[in-house]
Amino acid sequence: MVQIVISSKAGEGPPEWLLVELQGEMVSRQNTGLAGNLMGDLHYTKEGVPVLIVGHHILYGKQVKLEKPFAVLMKHSGLPQDDEVAMESSQEKPTAYSVSALIKKKLIFKTRPKPIITNVPKKV
Amino acid sequence: MRTLDEVRATLQIAKLKEEDLQAVTHCLSFGENASSGDYSLMELDDTLCRHIEAGKSLTIRGDKDEHAVLCSEDKTYDLKIADTSNLLLFVPGCRTPDQLGDHPKHPQLVHAQIWGYASSYWELKRQRPKLKKLKKLLMESPYTGPPVGTEEEAPENKFTMEDFLERIQASREEIEAHLQKIHACEIDGYWRILDFDYDLKLLGHVTQLVDSESWSFSRVPLRTCLEDPCSLAMAQMLLQNAVKFNLSEFQEVWQQSVPEGMGTRLDQLRGLALVDRNSRPETISLLRVEDLPEETLARFNALFSMREKWAHDDIEPYIQDLCGEKQTTGALLTKHARSSMQNGVKVYNSRRPVAT
Repeated sequence: MVQIVISSKAGEGPPEWLLVELQGEMVSRQNTGLAGNLMGDLHYTKEGVPVLIVGHHILYGKQVKLEKPFAVLMKHSGLPQDDEVAMESSQEKPTAYSVSALIKKKLIFKTRPKPIITNVPKKV
Repeated sequence: MRTLDEVRATLQIAKLKEEDLQAVTHCLSFGENASSGDYSLMELDDTLCRHIEAGKSLTIRGDKDEHAVLCSEDKTYDLKIADTSNLLLFVPGCRTPDQLGDHPKHPQLVHAQIWGYASSYWELKRQRPKLKKLKKLLMESPYTGPPVGTEEEAPENKFTMEDFLERIQASREEIEAHLQKIHACEIDGYWRILDFDYDLKLLGHVTQLVDSESWSFSRVPLRTCLEDPCSLAMAQMLLQNAVKFNLSEFQEVWQQSVPEGMGTRLDQLRGLALVDRNSRPETISLLRVEDLPEETLARFNALFSMREKWAHDDIEPYIQDLCGEKQTTGALLTKHARSSMQNGVKVYNSRRPVAT
């Protein structure tokens, strides 16, 4: 049987991150993957309503306290390092996880995106 | 990186007015490693959240062919992956309005990175750990007494707590509680269960000692810990050798088999023996809860195939351990059985056809 440990740092506890929840999928324009790309601008109205401008859409959302908080776990793979001798690979370090953060609230954007019309054709 | 001018231009195109918005704008972008999938989300309950905040660790346990479980030091949870149709982005550097405090006079940009995203998360459900395996392992080599002379006991089939944690999907405290329940003891660092005959011999020695010193059983503080195991051991020994015993004959022999002054009451046998009050003469037979299947449906099937209808009082000791944290045996019966009245008494039978 396998035992995989999820460790937390002792002390003040893990930091708190924010979760942003969007409906559906997100793909980059040229399908080159999302990493490194801009995503959008997040504004808050004077009343505190979050507004997200993504590509050609405006999304209105709300801040919600999570009924069940999340832990963000980071995986530490048990594979041997590249520079270790092949014979030592039988002594793999077991896979382990550590808690990177806790998430207790989220911004959820559920309303249908409002398209931003940038080019209004002139009346002929 | 986006500039304030670019953000303002976007606002204009989107027909949003700057004066309706708070001064701080977060420009979100995906971090370089955002797609690497190194992060997972795990849903927590209040207990686990406080556990993690206190810096304590959790352990996932399971064989390749088992469902994984998550254990804290005293609880076990079933682990499943839940899918959502939404995209969940984690943004460490993003603040909410209540966190932004004083509104700066001039618009400000905060560049926040999305470190990862997911559309599924780990879901945890508190469950009753499967501990039957514990007794099975201990029975591989019951303790029959200290080794004679210079011979040493072979170390195979002997287990320490650490050995149990590697084989059983349960938390440390749940394992310890179960070990106590089945009367296992730690001998030389290994957990052992006493061989039945050896156990009987020990009880015999102790009661003989009490007898020979003429201590009254009602005075000896050992009474509480001695009476029950002694009576139970005797009852089990008697019942083991027969399929059924005439109830009144059994009660007589049983009383005579225990030291004078010790009580023998039928209620001591709950979970060990079953009385049949519908047969003439009334009978009693051995039925130990630990010999029954561990899984709930299989347990009810087994019970209903040996007896079609059960009164609540009779079935209770055989289903007590199936109850969840706040569940009663009544609730369990409502879920798995059908009730009816028989001779003025409420009885339960199976909801489905039972294989006999």
